[in-house]
Amino acid sequence: MKSLIFDSGPIINFAMNGLLPLLEELQKKFKGDFLITKEVKSEIIDRPLTIKRFQLQAFQIKELFRKGVIKHADITPKQVNELRKIREHLMQVANNTFKIKKRYVHLIDKGESAALALSSILPNNPPLVVDERTTRMLCENPNNLKKLMEKKLHTSIKPNTGNYSYFEKFKIIRSTELMYIAYKKGLCKIKDKGVLEAALYGLKFKGCSISEDEIQEIVRTM
Amino acid sequence: MFPFFKMEEKEHVLEVLENVKKALRKKDYIEIKNLSDKVIHISSIHQDSNVISVAVIIYALSKLIERKNYQTEKNWNDFYVNYLRNIDDMIVALRKDNLKKFHDEIQENRELIQGLSGNLKIYIQDVFSRAKVNKASRIYEHGISMEKTAKILGISLWELAEYAGKTGIGDVNFAVTMPIKKRIKFAEEVFG
Repeated sequence: MKSLIFDSGPIINFAMNGLLPLLEELQKKFKGDFLITKEVKSEIIDRPLTIKRFQLQAFQIKELFRKGVIKHADITPKQVNELRKIREHLMQVANNTFKIKKRYVHLIDKGESAALALSSILPNNPPLVVDERTTRMLCENPNNLKKLMEKKLHTSIKPNTGNYSYFEKFKIIRSTELMYIAYKKGLCKIKDKGVLEAALYGLKFKGCSISEDEIQEIVRTM
Repeated sequence: MFPFFKMEEKEHVLEVLENVKKALRKKDYIEIKNLSDKVIHISSIHQDSNVISVAVIIYALSKLIERKNYQTEKNWNDFYVNYLRNIDDMIVALRKDNLKKFHDEIQENRELIQGLSGNLKIYIQDVFSRAKVNKASRIYEHGISMEKTAKILGISLWELAEYAGKTGIGDVNFAVTMPIKKRIKFAEEVFG
């Protein structure tokens, strides 16, 4: 059974844009599992259930979880232990990659590391759905992340380039690419041509790291 | 937790706080806002909770000065005087290298807000909550992951994603790490 591993961001993003029904349709078309870690469940369901502003969306996501549209990976206790070890290791490697003035910068946290770790322990390293910029850049182009941080922090960074290889095996999809697939497969109920662009901007404005140029390029491909 | 930061960081925070005092004399809230961002550079690297609190306290101060409608609320004057005294006390503590006292003053700031009542408490809590999200967005912009940043500031990922999405963070050239055609092709293969 194939699978996709979701970080918190894309599910939060689909929820805030009222696009959760599309996620359900996408899962049917995918013919595989949409997986989340326990850390992600806590961020997308348990915690927002305690915040009035996000409670409604949290209930909607909880319902998707109940229906099995998103689910935990079916892994053995031995794999759970392995996942925990890999999570800690990946977090340690990531957070010992960029050194500024003799101090390493803490880049990522448990949830992001756990999603990467889950991909590591499953067959064929399933792709991850990630909207936030840092984890994606760490996997796709850590040197760009270094340059970006140097520019923002006005200081030079000494990288442990040997650590880069730990992350290059992870393949990332963003919520915007999922939206493209949903539109192309005719899953959007509104058939207006402008819907795709509107949805892509909606996802950008709720946290997906995508540029305006990229959105326009996606729209032009249709 | 007892604060720990190096001399260089202490000097930086002290300098920023002293400049805040200067800007306050002119009620220059734009300068005060800019000063809070200067703390963010160092906060992104060291992620010290006290230094991050200073950034939030300074940013909130800029908002308190900018929005004059708070100033007609009952107890505003007492609150404002105590808020400024609290910043003075932080400066004194840092000048004396008394990091425990500095930490206590950060705590004192929280208690100042807790001690308020009525509309003023609601307004100030809202200013602080927005200040936290703003500073979190700046730290994320500096390259720290969204989850880590939300944790540092004690806010939810939902608030941070919503705020950060409205900034130009995704439009930075460095963040475009793969041609869009390649991304789409990969997504199509995954769903193929």
